Amino acid sequence: MIRPVLVRRDRVLPATQSFGFVVGILVALVLGAILLWVSGNSPAEVYERMFDSAFVGTDSLSRTLERTTPLALTGLSVAVAGSMGLWNIGAEGQMMAGATVATGVAMMADGLSGPALIAVMLASGVAGGMLLMLGPALARSHLGVSEIITTLMLVYVAIRVVEWLQVGPWKDPGSLGFPRIEEVPGQASLPGLFGRVNIGALIALGLLIVFSLAVSRTAWGYELRLAGSSPDTARYAGVSLRRKVLTALLLSGGIAGLAGTIQLTGAEVRLTPGLSNGFGFSGIIVAALALMRPSGVAVVAFVFGAVQVGGQSIQTLGVSSAISDILQAMILFGALVAAVFFNYRIRWTGPLGESSGEEIEQLEPAVEEPDV
Amino acid sequence: MAKKLLLKLLVVLAALTLIAVGCGNDDDDAAPEPEATQAPAPEPTEAPMDDEVIAAFVFVGPVGDAGWTWAHDQGRRLAEDRTGATTLFVENVPEDGPDFRNVVVDFIEDENANVIFATSFGYMDAMEELAGEYPDVVFEHASGYKMNDTNFGNFFGRMYQPRYLSGMAAGALTETNEIGYVAAFPIPEVLRGINAFTLGAQRTNPDVEVHVTWTFTWFDPAVEGDSAAALLEAGADVIAMHQDSTAPGLAAQDAGARWVSYNSDMSAFAPDAFITAPVWNWGPYYARIIDAVAAGTYAPGAYWGGMDDGIVALAPLAADVPADVAAEIDEVAAQLTDGSWDVFTGEIRDQDGNVVVAEGETMEDGPMLGMEFFVEGVVGSATG
Repeated sequence: MIRPVLVRRDRVLPATQSFGFVVGILVALVLGAILLWVSGNSPAEVYERMFDSAFVGTDSLSRTLERTTPLALTGLSVAVAGSMGLWNIGAEGQMMAGATVATGVAMMADGLSGPALIAVMLASGVAGGMLLMLGPALARSHLGVSEIITTLMLVYVAIRVVEWLQVGPWKDPGSLGFPRIEEVPGQASLPGLFGRVNIGALIALGLLIVFSLAVSRTAWGYELRLAGSSPDTARYAGVSLRRKVLTALLLSGGIAGLAGTIQLTGAEVRLTPGLSNGFGFSGIIVAALALMRPSGVAVVAFVFGAVQVGGQSIQTLGVSSAISDILQAMILFGALVAAVFFNYRIRWTGPLGESSGEEIEQLEPAVEEPDV
Repeated sequence: MAKKLLLKLLVVLAALTLIAVGCGNDDDDAAPEPEATQAPAPEPTEAPMDDEVIAAFVFVGPVGDAGWTWAHDQGRRLAEDRTGATTLFVENVPEDGPDFRNVVVDFIEDENANVIFATSFGYMDAMEELAGEYPDVVFEHASGYKMNDTNFGNFFGRMYQPRYLSGMAAGALTETNEIGYVAAFPIPEVLRGINAFTLGAQRTNPDVEVHVTWTFTWFDPAVEGDSAAALLEAGADVIAMHQDSTAPGLAAQDAGARWVSYNSDMSAFAPDAFITAPVWNWGPYYARIIDAVAAGTYAPGAYWGGMDDGIVALAPLAADVPADVAAEIDEVAAQLTDGSWDVFTGEIRDQDGNVVVAEGETMEDGPMLGMEFFVEGVVGSATG
């Protein structure tokens, strides 16, 4: 009886991740074509519409970038924590917390001019995200409580708080009894760049570059990664693990809070319980596909955004939303699976004892990256 | 290094997609069609007189086989049969985020839709914005309150009327005098429904209490089923609901209790529990709007039709509703239809015992549309 065991490849060339990503998408597109054909749609027509709606023309690019911005920020949020092996599952909730605090500040400071109000709101959004993360961060750094559970649970707390504000203290008297929170003051709208893209996209890009350099090029980033991959070594080297955990998680929460605020003042007009719209959870996939590297987040977020835009647009062709969802999931899953196979290889082992699957030994070098 | 990889990735992606699209065009003659219809299609003129109507529907949930979106889809089918217009739809479009806007723009730009029906409250702000951007397209919004003078109207139905009738049936069948009501969100529409239902139940059973729980969901079978189970455990023997799922009915049937469904006749899902249901019938309204657009006579309005117009109705009653109650329901239905009586006619008191509608008076549409209180006999908080 032989069985397959996944063995980590000896050398993981930096390119294999990107290459795996592309191969995975290609395989998914082929499988997706079969799915579309079986479900009575024309794969060519559907893929053409997906491509056109996500990439061709400024309006399409605007749609893709409109989604790329929040995905990149939540992806970065998860990746910053992930750089030291921490999982922020609650970016969705930190988005809401950021947008909530920013809305509260806007209500008090609506006399400010546009740029001042925007600056104050963005800053308070960061603070809001950090505030929601404070509990999980302290619990993790001082008590060792898993941040995965605490950050996730707080998502629902944050959403419920917005629901409560909406029916209670922040209910807009001018909305005919409908529980809605007042619109954010007009001057707080983020200045547009083109189409539906606003300066939030530039903020996201700037932060990606800053964090990308900080994580890979600075002593701070090195200590962060070291603390994640080898806590004992880090401690020996004099790195304060507690402080590192706190900083990484609070920064992660702050970035997600900023993402929520940028959605509030850029894409939407008012705070609603649906404002985060799943972007926080999608950020986990973005960061995972980017291998927790801030530099990869931008590319993955763009592709993810394009897949979402394309997936939505084919529904107007008559493709059912279920098929569209499956297609989107296949593309992402394809990329994820391929990433696994470009980092691991399958080795067929004999019965236990002959070669224990536990030991990770490398018998042959990893496959070289084919030149594309 | 990273940049080079990025570039490679994009090039390969682009190439792959081009190959996929290119191959498709070779063996699929139908592919160029969308472009062809785009170029020579008559640009929408200021008065789309005699233009072919292409009506596009945006649904918040899945069409499925029962419930809110299913009822709208039945309406779409009926309107298509009746008017001969082309209809399109997209389901599961979230209320927040960019999806709604993108779907509508695709319908207009790629499919030449000239009427947009949007069927959820949360689309309202985006509808208003789009109506301004596309003055030649008609926008009709279910359940909202915004409109303009040229191309943006809203529509809804007086669901409280059949709700009252369903309450009469439920009041007659409860033995514990305790009815559980699984409610979605504390908004005027839902409060109005709970109040009307309670008033109806009190008409056939003065001792009845209606216990309300809020789910803060429109469609979440797990949450809604659990809420119903909790109400049943607390002593209710009839479940009413303002939800799209059938889960409360299944919970009622499991507990040997009874159920008033909503949106559509859901008797097939829990036949032993089912009593009746206040139901939507959107088709005639959709057909009327499509005909008006085709004839160039469309003018936006704030439509709020009742049982007189057939947009709301009561599903058939279960066999064990007592004959005298069934006869009284018919009688009240006739009054609601001919307009001789309406549900919120005094004297009506709120939960605190204050008179909100005086003896002999009938509530105006304005206060009804902005209803924020519970009537006497409802147990629960009107603010969620």
